[in-house]
Amino acid sequence: MQPAVTDENNSVGHSVPPSHLRVSGVHKRFGGVHALRGVDFEVARGEVMALVGDNGAGKSTLMKVLAGAHAADEGEFWMDDSPVAIGSPHDAAALGIQIVYQDLALCENLDVSANLSLGAEPVKHGWGFLPRILRPIDDLEMEVKAQEAINRLEVRTLKSVRAKVEGLSGGQRQAIAIARAVGAESSVVLLDEPTAALGVAQTRQVLDVVNRLRGTNHAVVYISHNLRDVFKVADRICVLRHGGNVATFNAADTTPDEIVVAITRGLDEGAGNGA
Amino acid sequence: MVPDAGSSFVDRLRELRQTRFGAFVPVLLALAAIWSYFGLAVPFWEYLSDPDADSIRFIFLSPRNIYNLFMQSAVIATLAVGITIVLLLGDIDLSAAATAGVCAALLGVLVLAGVPGWMACLIVMAVGIVMGAAQGLLVAYVGIPSFVVTLAGLLGYQGLMQKILPTGNLNVGDPFVRSIARVLIPDSWGLALAAALVVFVAVMSLRRQARRRERGLELDTNLAIWGQVAFFAVLVFAAVITMNSYRSVPLMIFLLVAATAAVGWVTTSTPFGRSIFAVGGNAESARRVGLNVRRVRVAAFGIVGLMAAIGGIFGASRFGSVSYTAFAGGSLLLESIGAAVIGGTSLFGGRGSVWNAILGALVIGSLGNGLDLSGASAADKLMFSGAILLLAVAIDAISRPTGGTAR
Repeated sequence: MQPAVTDENNSVGHSVPPSHLRVSGVHKRFGGVHALRGVDFEVARGEVMALVGDNGAGKSTLMKVLAGAHAADEGEFWMDDSPVAIGSPHDAAALGIQIVYQDLALCENLDVSANLSLGAEPVKHGWGFLPRILRPIDDLEMEVKAQEAINRLEVRTLKSVRAKVEGLSGGQRQAIAIARAVGAESSVVLLDEPTAALGVAQTRQVLDVVNRLRGTNHAVVYISHNLRDVFKVADRICVLRHGGNVATFNAADTTPDEIVVAITRGLDEGAGNGA
Repeated sequence: MVPDAGSSFVDRLRELRQTRFGAFVPVLLALAAIWSYFGLAVPFWEYLSDPDADSIRFIFLSPRNIYNLFMQSAVIATLAVGITIVLLLGDIDLSAAATAGVCAALLGVLVLAGVPGWMACLIVMAVGIVMGAAQGLLVAYVGIPSFVVTLAGLLGYQGLMQKILPTGNLNVGDPFVRSIARVLIPDSWGLALAAALVVFVAVMSLRRQARRRERGLELDTNLAIWGQVAFFAVLVFAAVITMNSYRSVPLMIFLLVAATAAVGWVTTSTPFGRSIFAVGGNAESARRVGLNVRRVRVAAFGIVGLMAAIGGIFGASRFGSVSYTAFAGGSLLLESIGAAVIGGTSLFGGRGSVWNAILGALVIGSLGNGLDLSGASAADKLMFSGAILLLAVAIDAISRPTGGTAR
């Protein structure tokens, strides 16, 4: 049942970029449930790697393992070809891996700039006699940083970084959650179903933001059920099934139909897909 | 942010709440309504209905009464400022008044035993912090809801106060403790302080505006800046001049404002304060960005304990005695929670300000004072206070940006 992933099984063509984050042989068990059965995965800088699969295929589990929210039972991790360990969210953050959860986890009662620098507020100089948490916040610096982050992602609809999050649309909130992940000195951004609850215009806005992350040289992992969105942003598409790899496709060389077959039946049964 | 011509009253109210001083609007309206009722409507009605009266007597709005009102509300305000901090977290503290009672009783016993007044004050402030933080530890690390922990604290501390004061009453004659309520700041100093404060606020806002321009950030309109400064100036000078025209600004009011300013500054301008708002707004979000949610909780309860201890000292100083009914056994707890909520601090966490708590305390104090003056019974007072509390929470719920129906 468990597909052995080899080089020829990965139907990626000639232009595989050097991986930035790479994992191999990841196993994760929850009691009797074997959620990940030796998964291999990689993502390069300046690339959007989509992670697709049916419910229970292991997408979210793999995402949480990468973010350190779950510790893998087995598996090896590399960042830029040096082995690393990811055992906690703190480890992941220290390696520059940031995750944007589906529920976004923004503080609605705070404004955009406060949300973007929450937990790492810039403080004014000259108050060294106080512990850091009691020094005055340099809120102008905070606004400047927030404005830069928003400009980098070109979130045009956002009028002011002083607007409270509770007054923003779903797409704007998603963009701000992404901006927060990007702003935290990160090189890998994991996005969990970023367009799941959004309308057409809002979805386009979020996809624009994801596309822009390629320009900022981030490695982006994009989980989605919506293949139309996936084909709009992804460079490569990694298909999981029953906790194992099916294949990784170049988005330019494949079709939504082929992906659907891979998701639902795997490659062995999906005859004629050339893998 | 300009309201459309067709927008409803509720929409306008919501937009008003979004502005920086908007949070003050409902509580100021309540205060204005209560003051004009007791200060203007009641005297007029008495004048018209009583043919023997030769002139209208504005007892409520007399400087003497306003002065007493401020002093009466000071203890409630001190406790309300502390309670606001835990309300911001989405927690509640039912033990604040009992903590204040224990601290006041301990203060009385200490000065009776010959401990210098200033040292006794410092000791009970430390005790207050420990009493608050102990409850915070139970809430944060054991995971018991704050309602239950502080309810237990309320009962336990009430008992503790009775143990410390077996007779239920103790006179406090220590000159240092008494001086907090008795010392008056000379008229000229009071005015000078007020002027200095207003100039300070004006200079700070202008400097801030200049630095915003320097950095290319969006600017506040001049109207907004000068409106804020003028608003602040009117409040400060009105309070100082009124108190001066009866006696002078009492040291206790000055200390209350200073303590509130300190707590207010910590909550709005430091990373610690930001983490209080973040935990109250979305605790999960705060945890994910790496804030230590438990430590924030414990610290917040410590602050309530400190403010309760200060409230206890103020009360002991004002009454010259410590009695069980004035603190733990009386209505102080409900009045101070009511003051915080009337001030517009949300019980759901994440919204509110300590300055509003002071205004809320004034509302509660004015209501009691006005009803006393017009000869209302204790039963009337209770029912009126309940109605005002409900009204304040209703205004808060309706003017919330997400709307009253969403919850």
